Amino acid sequence: MKNSEISSDKQVRTLAKRRVGLFKNTWFFLLAVLIGLSILTTLVNPRFLTTSNLMNILDQIAVLGIVSAGMTLLIISGEIDISVGANIGLTSCVMAMMIRGGQNIFLAIMVGIALAVLNSTLVGVTSILFKAPSFITSLAFISVFTGTALALTRGAFQTIYGQFETIGVQRFWGILPLSFLISIIAYIAIHFLLTYTKLGRRTYAIGSNPSAAHLSGISVNKAKLTNFMLSGACIGVAAMVLLSRIGAAQPSTGMGIELRAIGAVVIGGSPLMGGKGKIIGTVLGVLLIGVISNVLNMLRVSPYFQQVTFGALILGALAVSVLSTYRKRSYVRKTKDVKQKGGSE
Amino acid sequence: MENGEEFVLLKDITKVYGTQEVLKSISFDLKKGEVHCLVGENGAGKSTLIKILSGAVKPEAGEIYVHGNRESELTPRSAMALGISTIYQDAELVDSLTVADNVFLGDESLYKFPPIVNSRKQVLESMRIISRLKMDLPANVLVEELSAAQKQELQIVKALYRKSDVIIMDEPTSSLGLEETRALMDTVRDLRERGMGVIYISHHIEEIFEIGDRVTVLKDGEHMGTYDISDVDTDFIIRKMVGRQASAFFSRKPVEIGETQVEVKDLTQRGVIEGVNFNVRKGEIFGIGGLVGSGRSELVNLIFGAEKPDYGTINVNGKRVKPKSPNKAIRSGIGLVTEDRKKLGILAGRDIIENIAVVHNEVFKGPLIDGAEESRLTNKMVNELSIVASREDQTMEELSGGNQQKVVIGRWLLDDATLYVFDEPTKGVDIGAKEQIYELLVSLAERGKSLIMVSSDMPELISMSDRIGVMREGHMVEIVEAEEIEEEELLRLFIGIDDTGGKQKDEKQ
Repeated sequence: MKNSEISSDKQVRTLAKRRVGLFKNTWFFLLAVLIGLSILTTLVNPRFLTTSNLMNILDQIAVLGIVSAGMTLLIISGEIDISVGANIGLTSCVMAMMIRGGQNIFLAIMVGIALAVLNSTLVGVTSILFKAPSFITSLAFISVFTGTALALTRGAFQTIYGQFETIGVQRFWGILPLSFLISIIAYIAIHFLLTYTKLGRRTYAIGSNPSAAHLSGISVNKAKLTNFMLSGACIGVAAMVLLSRIGAAQPSTGMGIELRAIGAVVIGGSPLMGGKGKIIGTVLGVLLIGVISNVLNMLRVSPYFQQVTFGALILGALAVSVLSTYRKRSYVRKTKDVKQKGGSE
Repeated sequence: MENGEEFVLLKDITKVYGTQEVLKSISFDLKKGEVHCLVGENGAGKSTLIKILSGAVKPEAGEIYVHGNRESELTPRSAMALGISTIYQDAELVDSLTVADNVFLGDESLYKFPPIVNSRKQVLESMRIISRLKMDLPANVLVEELSAAQKQELQIVKALYRKSDVIIMDEPTSSLGLEETRALMDTVRDLRERGMGVIYISHHIEEIFEIGDRVTVLKDGEHMGTYDISDVDTDFIIRKMVGRQASAFFSRKPVEIGETQVEVKDLTQRGVIEGVNFNVRKGEIFGIGGLVGSGRSELVNLIFGAEKPDYGTINVNGKRVKPKSPNKAIRSGIGLVTEDRKKLGILAGRDIIENIAVVHNEVFKGPLIDGAEESRLTNKMVNELSIVASREDQTMEELSGGNQQKVVIGRWLLDDATLYVFDEPTKGVDIGAKEQIYELLVSLAERGKSLIMVSSDMPELISMSDRIGVMREGHMVEIVEAEEIEEEELLRLFIGIDDTGGKQKDEKQ
């Protein structure tokens, strides 16, 4: 198709370029909290700011980060998957059993990732087929995945100590954990997808207004399914990293990670309604969760209170996002008033 | 006015939406024991007036009196308490409860102890009202099993139970058959005899002559007059509903019309659209008009593949198209600018570039976005359509309604389509932007495109179209030359009144 030409004798205007808003409002706020928290903790306990501690944090949040990257994609498109933890449980059990059974490790990983993708796809397919929210279908699949894992393992712990440690334990130059690098790759991949590909645009469009997206020629279901598959791939990789770090798997492995991942995405400024959000927010959200849990350990706060802090963090993030929309609305109102007073421009 | 028997009196009511005055100093009154009809074209302000009276909308100016008392803070709740009941087309009933439960909803009759619902008493009480109205309505049946007519009746029963004396009926017969309409008319007469006041809105003018006592005509938010039914006839009312100043019409540049480019053949979706045939030529604007609910939007949705037809074909440029989805339609060279901008058009929260490039991105091949190209195309549209914006990353919420509409239109202009379908292109758009959109339509026609334009705005339909297809009850009943038709005649076709003044009943089985 050829682009249209309408001759115009009016003065040519050019819109100001998009600002690269890496650290706009919410994200800047998150970063400030992170830095402030780090400074405070260092003052109380200087051990916080040691390389080994910082690298430990990065190691600890790698799995959460990989899962959250995929979750960001789903949440922006207006979907959600709460079976992520159960999916990790099933996938890591299958991988562990294959490795124990003497299968090639590479094959085990491939099968594991494929299984995670299949599981995630099932959540998406049922949601589309039965016109049900993915919240409900993924709720159903939690039991399916955990049940299958229990049946396969007969509830037994699948240990593979010493057979599959490279990914979870390897550190470059003795400090930088490989698991963290993998999570960085996941972030970058999802960021690239959201910013530079058609699928990314479709994801935002579907999350913002599915009917308008459909009428603009976007095949909504296809895009949704692709997102579920990609999130599945993230889950598979996360299961691999987790298995390698722990050296064992059981059906309950990964339990509860879905809520922390959703929390990280929301803290990072992507609303559950979809249509908005960026991966940088998720990165900061994950980082904040990791740092706070580390800080609480350093300050010897009871682990029970750590749970409370996680909840408070999500509430705080919601408050910030509400405040920033208020500000934006009053700004819009003001500019509109100015326009009207300015007369027929 | 005499002996203070006015149930309702509205004085100089004015309502403004945005920059548009939808009601201009309207006065209206309803007396005890009368049926007062309200007529006007689509968008004349009838619904707004009703919403004001039922407390759903607050007027900018004017006074409302109910039973002689001034009510300055009318809410849906207080209006109901004052005895005003509104019966909407899509009945607001709870499908999963019984008829009696619905009548008592929110005011359930309870046993003393234990405080549970006294169903027996509710059923008996409902049956008492139903039999008094001589209705055929079982009290013990779930609402989901009722017919459309029975649901209307149930709403009347509900209103009577609440001891309402003002009943507002908004298009009550639009989904009813002939028999059911007759039964409803009897009920309305019965209500009048009981000394209640009924405000009756209908597109079917013959119903007004059957049951009305007085009629008020609205046009473009203006009060055209209130008359005793016995003093007027159908012709007179239609003339009052239309007849605008010449300034309301847009004088467009004529465009040379070529050969047939788009053919719609026998397009049918059972029960909605029945066997529609028409064609659109090169450079032609084909208008589609009709009353609300006549199937206009449904027809264009079929053409665009947003709904699936049962059968029928569309030829674009001689190529047979069977649009199964909007995506297929776009690839065959069809574009649709939807009516409901908020719901179906804009991507809220996303910026101008994403909103303009969304269709373009689906058309080209490859998985990646070309950012520079997007930016260039967006700037081109901003200039061509004079979109008032300053930055590429402005979100849609930061633009005015007219500019949002231009962005939505712009998304279809980036790539050449053969057929452009506009569903209410100027709805909710101010006058300045309106003319720019008209000029844009004409310039598309000049470039040899075929255009279909659905519009409720009569002057717009007549002045912009070359030909007008009239939709009535899912059929395209007539295609007329826009130059040769007057507003009055067109409205007559919409409503379906032949020259003798009677309604053509054959369309309605």
